[in-house]
Amino acid sequence: MKMRNIELLAPAGTKEKMEFAFLYGADAVYFGGHNYSLRANAKNFSNEEIKEAVMFAHERGKKVYVTVNIVFHDEDLDGLVDYLKYLSEIKVDAIISSDISVIDTIKKNNIDLEVHISTQASIMNYEAALFYKNLGATRIVLARECSKEDIKRIKEEMGLEIECFMHGAMCTSISGRCVLSNYCTNRDSNRGGCAQICRWTFDYKKDGQKISDEVFSMTPKDLNMIPYIKEMINLGVNSFKIEGRMRSIYYVATVILIYRRLIDKILNNTLTDEYKDYALKVLNRVANRESTPQFFDKLPGVNEQYYLGREEVSNQDFLGLVLDYQDGYAIIEERNYFKVGDTVQFFGPNMETFDYTIDNIMDEDGNVIDIARHPQMIVKIKIDHELPKFAMMRIKMFDI
Amino acid sequence: MEKKKILININNLASLEEYRKIGFTNFLFAVEDFSIGYQAFPLDKIPKDAYLFLNRVMDSKTIDHLKEVKEDILKYRGIIFEDLGVYNIFKDENISLIWFQNHFGTNSNSINYYLDHGCDSAVISNELCGDEIKKIITSAHKPLVFNVLGKNNIMYSRRKLLSNYNEYMHLDDYNDVTLETNKNRFFARESEYGTCLFNDEYFNYINFAKELADDKIKYYLILNMDLNPEDIQNILDGSVFGDEGFLNKKTVYRLEDYDR
Repeated sequence: MKMRNIELLAPAGTKEKMEFAFLYGADAVYFGGHNYSLRANAKNFSNEEIKEAVMFAHERGKKVYVTVNIVFHDEDLDGLVDYLKYLSEIKVDAIISSDISVIDTIKKNNIDLEVHISTQASIMNYEAALFYKNLGATRIVLARECSKEDIKRIKEEMGLEIECFMHGAMCTSISGRCVLSNYCTNRDSNRGGCAQICRWTFDYKKDGQKISDEVFSMTPKDLNMIPYIKEMINLGVNSFKIEGRMRSIYYVATVILIYRRLIDKILNNTLTDEYKDYALKVLNRVANRESTPQFFDKLPGVNEQYYLGREEVSNQDFLGLVLDYQDGYAIIEERNYFKVGDTVQFFGPNMETFDYTIDNIMDEDGNVIDIARHPQMIVKIKIDHELPKFAMMRIKMFDI
Repeated sequence: MEKKKILININNLASLEEYRKIGFTNFLFAVEDFSIGYQAFPLDKIPKDAYLFLNRVMDSKTIDHLKEVKEDILKYRGIIFEDLGVYNIFKDENISLIWFQNHFGTNSNSINYYLDHGCDSAVISNELCGDEIKKIITSAHKPLVFNVLGKNNIMYSRRKLLSNYNEYMHLDDYNDVTLETNKNRFFARESEYGTCLFNDEYFNYINFAKELADDKIKYYLILNMDLNPEDIQNILDGSVFGDEGFLNKKTVYRLEDYDR
């Protein structure tokens, strides 16, 4: 396959998650500030933290996109001009927005800021994409509902950069077209207050009578585009986006590393079916829901959603974070219980993933122990493989 | 509220004459292939003095189809549109355009953008409180469309949520069902283009509308689902009906505001 710049775009709900995303192979990250971002109740970034994040990214040749993606009410417009000017001054690489008032504000005030059109705009056709292109947008984040044919047509007719979600949670609704949260909880979904009503269960009734003994749920399974990434690259997709600003560092690291290697293998023609199978297994394990390609090749059917409410499992695979490696010992911060005799797996940036059966553990003071049972306790494990800082140790899931 | 300023959607052609007889003059029709959630009609059944309600989020194939019938559509009085692809196709044509990107008409700047760029009017979102609505109407550059009665399209999914559930549960092909949980009840309708959820209770902003400057309103919109012309007349005459929606209930989105 012809090499070209394919961007792997990661969520970064915090500075720590951003650092892990870059370390594990992301080319760019996206996050929100304290205002105007759809994850209103995530930690998000202060103005100063955004500035630091941009410097951190640029020093490493990476990019930062800031979400300014709420659907504004009049009261939210106060301070918007100053905020956009600030983002321009500190040289964020682009903002992600869907509200025309943001784009118009940038134009009217001659603010030097690239705009990527958010998936909240739900662009599924080339005429809508052309509308935004004419406004000066430099990239379109397509609706998750786009089919292969839609992606192809939009790229051909519009020519701008295209960004597609390839992994993570899905809304049941077309993005931005859901205010269930407003009605059920008074929390404004389009300003970051979504209470995820689509994960609730309902009675299913017709003419006042229950017509099913079981509850009704409309929860979609997650998105996972592994089978089609090569095809998407061929269609002209420029940036592959991972959802999940509120996910853990373990999730971010695992997912980014898998996709980094997958994309690299596609670009250098070394992708094998075995690696794809392995990647699928790892990704299905790290998430708490099943995942499927959703809309790319067909309309999601009976197998692409859940029907009886939450079918999610808590993931405790993350055993420890490698803080350092000295004199043949890995210094590890414990995250979940492990003990001598367990077979674990180490993975991380710039290293091959490998299995290891733990045959020794020492506590911080050098005392031999059998079990690491306390989250965040520091332990040492003698191990022959040199490990990079911030590699991770997890339960051995599958053969590599 | 003068009837000549009411714009009402039509669910069956038989009711059209009844509405005309009692003084309505502005009608809105959902259009086959381009609309969702409402009874849709083929273009040749829709009177030319009506507005067309193109409220689907459209894929490229649908946009191609829309261009094929563009000349036919230009014979109508106007278009109320959801998808900006529709706007891009018709913005330089001689037809009245009304922006109704559902749930996005929530601030003055966005509304004024479309008013300043070829749209004759815009529909204000219904999830705003009374004070927010008044402020937007006051600062709008042209008279707006204000939805005074109806069931809001609360959620619009491309998925066939009901068919999938019916199949999974081995049920008959139920459509137009009610989804109910605790205090909340929604009406769900599916078509080949996806599934819409509406609030089960009508909202009624007719009394509130009397507080608005009439010259700042282009149309008072009624999005009817199942009421007949007589019901509508009675409600306009003051029958107690429906609820006040968000008029006195400002939405919040930050944790610290949730308990207020």
